[in-house]
Amino acid sequence: MAGMVAILYACGDSANNNNAGTINARASLPDSLKFTALGYKVVTLSINKKLGTMSTLYGNKQALDNAIAGADDVKAGEAFALITWKQQDDDRWFGAKIPGNLQSVEMIKTAADASGKVAIAYTHLEGKNLSPIADTLHNAERIKYIFDQKPSVMP
Amino acid sequence: MSTKNKRPLKTKLLFIVALLGVCFILIQFARPQIDSPPVKADFEAPAEVKNIITRACYDCHSNQTNLRWYDKVQPIYWQVAEHVKDGRKGLNFSNWKNMAPADQKAKLWEAVNQIAEGAMPIKSYTMVHTEAKVPASDLAILKAYLAVMVHSKPADTSKTNALDKQYQKWQKAKTAHTKLPVEPNGIAYIPDYKNWQVISTTERFDNGTMRVIFGNDIAIKAVKEHHINPWPNGTIFAKVAWDQLQDTAGNVKTGAFKQVEYMIKDDHKYASTKGWGFARFKTPKMVPYAAGNALFANECVNCHRPMSNNDFVFTMPVKH
Repeated sequence: MAGMVAILYACGDSANNNNAGTINARASLPDSLKFTALGYKVVTLSINKKLGTMSTLYGNKQALDNAIAGADDVKAGEAFALITWKQQDDDRWFGAKIPGNLQSVEMIKTAADASGKVAIAYTHLEGKNLSPIADTLHNAERIKYIFDQKPSVMP
Repeated sequence: MSTKNKRPLKTKLLFIVALLGVCFILIQFARPQIDSPPVKADFEAPAEVKNIITRACYDCHSNQTNLRWYDKVQPIYWQVAEHVKDGRKGLNFSNWKNMAPADQKAKLWEAVNQIAEGAMPIKSYTMVHTEAKVPASDLAILKAYLAVMVHSKPADTSKTNALDKQYQKWQKAKTAHTKLPVEPNGIAYIPDYKNWQVISTTERFDNGTMRVIFGNDIAIKAVKEHHINPWPNGTIFAKVAWDQLQDTAGNVKTGAFKQVEYMIKDDHKYASTKGWGFARFKTPKMVPYAAGNALFANECVNCHRPMSNNDFVFTMPVKH
């Protein structure tokens, strides 16, 4: 008996599999977006508990600097990207939610025209394949929402 | 083989067996001490929860260690005594109420996660003490008990004020740190984390925070090439946590900055902590967490242990 117990005690301990070594494929951005190459930085993140979504707002250096400075006017050369996912439960931590299916990517770019007036271009891509959304009904509302975001404190 | 040669061999074997027998008897007298200090601040919970925790955890994680006769036979007893010593050091339910309420809550979520991920109770222990196993029905009871503790409600003014105060300081002071704070293990705060790319984000509804996990160039390349188990040496993660600021419509923004934590991969330099150097800097002042907390290294590794087959990393990377 004691010998058997000793053998059992000597057995290795290992945890569950947890999908070890896997990438979160359903949340990943398509390669065609070439997002990393844009070199954008994190501006802030947000969660919508009613919809069960989470979003990360990115910006280029100019957009982030202007946002931190609290500049009221829109300047030329700013770029934002707001990425939104459906949330999923984190299999590796009861008590956490992580990005699930990729829901949408919204992009803003500002540029000055010949007269020096700053124009704002907004694009809205939706779904896993990021299909362009042509409906412009909510554009003004979304542009205001993105510019209204306050950067997260990152000392 | 002739019969002549058999006798000495048999005698030799008998001698060895006898010698082993004597050794076995002698080592029984080597008794490491497992004491039972008085229980003064025991864990309290509804009976059904307390019963599961007692059955599954108390032999190693309380002062009420209940050893069976077969636990006391050497050489097993040495290992049992070591398990009890380590177990009590990591978490002792007999001292539960000596912890601050927030720490109690965090520890309980961690304990249930250790069970849910199959890291606890230790498999070699449950193979012998089958009654300590936590079946799915018991795990559901534990999870339901935790779920009641989650309060998802709009932020009060104290949280908003905390953010406003931090924000104003941060907005003005762009170079706050002339000398970088350092953890006792030699890892310094890395201010550049905010310019790195993102590995993933998380909402932690167990403790009311939200996080971004950044990765340095080596980490991002490893994700692109799918070489993440193990992660390559030189990988650095920076995990930033903020309070959740929720409005009445259920929209949550980032509140006050809580901390930034680093994991630095170097399987040689950090061999004693599973190949990772761990560091945590709290508040915008970047106060090293391990200063005055000698158990920090153990704390990190123990909590990450359920991910032992995933190079001790919880985050599932999102390709960007």
